[in-house]
Amino acid sequence: MLKLFEREQLNLAKLPEAQTAIEVRDLCLRFGDKHVLHNITMRIPKNRITALIGQSGCGKSTLISCFNRMNDLIDNSVTEGEIIIDGRNINRKKENLSILRSQVGMVFQRPNPFPMSIYDNVCYGLRLQGIKQRRQLDDAVERALIEAALWDEVKDRLFESATTLSGGQQQRLVIARALALKPSILLLDEPTSALDPLTTLIIEELMAELKKRCTIVIVTHNMQQASRVSDYTAFLHQGELVEYSDSDTLFTLPEKKQTEDYITGRYG
Amino acid sequence: MRQVALNTHISGRFNIELENLRNSVMAMGGEVEQQLADTLKAIATNNPGLAETVILNDLKINSMEIQIDEECLRIIAKRHPTASDLRLIMIISKAITDIERMGDEIERIARLVTKQKLPTDVAIKSSMLSIGQQAAAMMRGTFDAFARLDEEAALEVYDQDNSIDSEYKKLLSYTADEMSRSGDSMEDWLEILWALRSLERIGDRCKNICEYVVSLTSGRDVRHTPLENLQQTLDNLSDS
Repeated sequence: MLKLFEREQLNLAKLPEAQTAIEVRDLCLRFGDKHVLHNITMRIPKNRITALIGQSGCGKSTLISCFNRMNDLIDNSVTEGEIIIDGRNINRKKENLSILRSQVGMVFQRPNPFPMSIYDNVCYGLRLQGIKQRRQLDDAVERALIEAALWDEVKDRLFESATTLSGGQQQRLVIARALALKPSILLLDEPTSALDPLTTLIIEELMAELKKRCTIVIVTHNMQQASRVSDYTAFLHQGELVEYSDSDTLFTLPEKKQTEDYITGRYG
Repeated sequence: MRQVALNTHISGRFNIELENLRNSVMAMGGEVEQQLADTLKAIATNNPGLAETVILNDLKINSMEIQIDEECLRIIAKRHPTASDLRLIMIISKAITDIERMGDEIERIARLVTKQKLPTDVAIKSSMLSIGQQAAAMMRGTFDAFARLDEEAALEVYDQDNSIDSEYKKLLSYTADEMSRSGDSMEDWLEILWALRSLERIGDRCKNICEYVVSLTSGRDVRHTPLENLQQTLDNLSDS
């Protein structure tokens, strides 16, 4: 039959390993006695944008933080289950966290540039990795800033303080800082909630460009944003994964009533 | 039966907007229903004055269509509806096009009376009225199913179109025989044929609206699906 509109609908449950960026198996997480995530099992496809949506406190940010073990920094946090990235379980004890975190970059809600120059911000991670050669750093900074769609705006002021940049520019700088380490996965925790609508669109455009190079997982409270930018969407409710499918289906014909109630703004 | 709850949004104003939108479609449907009843009465009593009112009233229906469409656009732009809310607005936008076209068909039939071109043959006229009554009943059932977003009622009404179609075919062949025998001008006969066709089309438009109701409640597009397959598809959905 004639197909006018091509839509990709990967079978997420049976996603082959080669196409899987993150595989989560029976992930449970608690902070002390408080269970935050219950038996999450999902496969996040490579080079796609996957959005996590759900009410405040449903565990989205906690889940995304599991992907680069940021929850380790919280006292009393106990994680069970496996998260497979690049063929290894990152929850194992001997996981090298600095390598993991350079491989899985993270950007937070509020732009958090370091109080140093734009240049030093971008090559901060590289210097930590021991790279000292000026030319190598110059190249990496330029590439990362181009990838983050910020180069044209800052190329003449690379040595000015990063705090002089606008909010949207700071957020892109933070993305560039993550990109400089060539991550295979980029985690964005409400990356645009502190930005105006037009700057938000610039960041969204950037995400669409970046997914060619890395897998993006985004947590957002803005459902329109999730439906605009993401290829796949997972809906979480009280620490459980309620529904996870391609965004076209989830936002037009969700399978579960709970999902429908949430996305249409009904009493849940 | 699958139900679509309309007034359970956290936003009370969104509930009111959707309710008003649906009520205005019902009001538009009510107008068209009255138009058809008046036209049938005008035919039965050969009353050109009443038919003239029907023709004038069609302007009101056209204006209702435009206003409802504008409201649909406004809600889409401002509320960003998703899932069943979005389907509801989309089917309303489509249903009012069908309702407006029914209005146009009725206007065409009414012109038969104002132009004094009603069939002289009693059998044709009474068959015409009989198809008209069936179309009116189907219309009533359609708007009723729409008001309650009742999938089962919509399917029942959907089936009625077959009887209108078969009566139309019979009448058409009878009229063709009469045409060949009668000495009336071809132009007059064409007017009658068009009016008959218009009555039959009302049934088709009702069928479209019933399909929209089913697609809203089931979430599946059921257009161009024969009734038996449709029932099967819906049964499968209920089972799953």
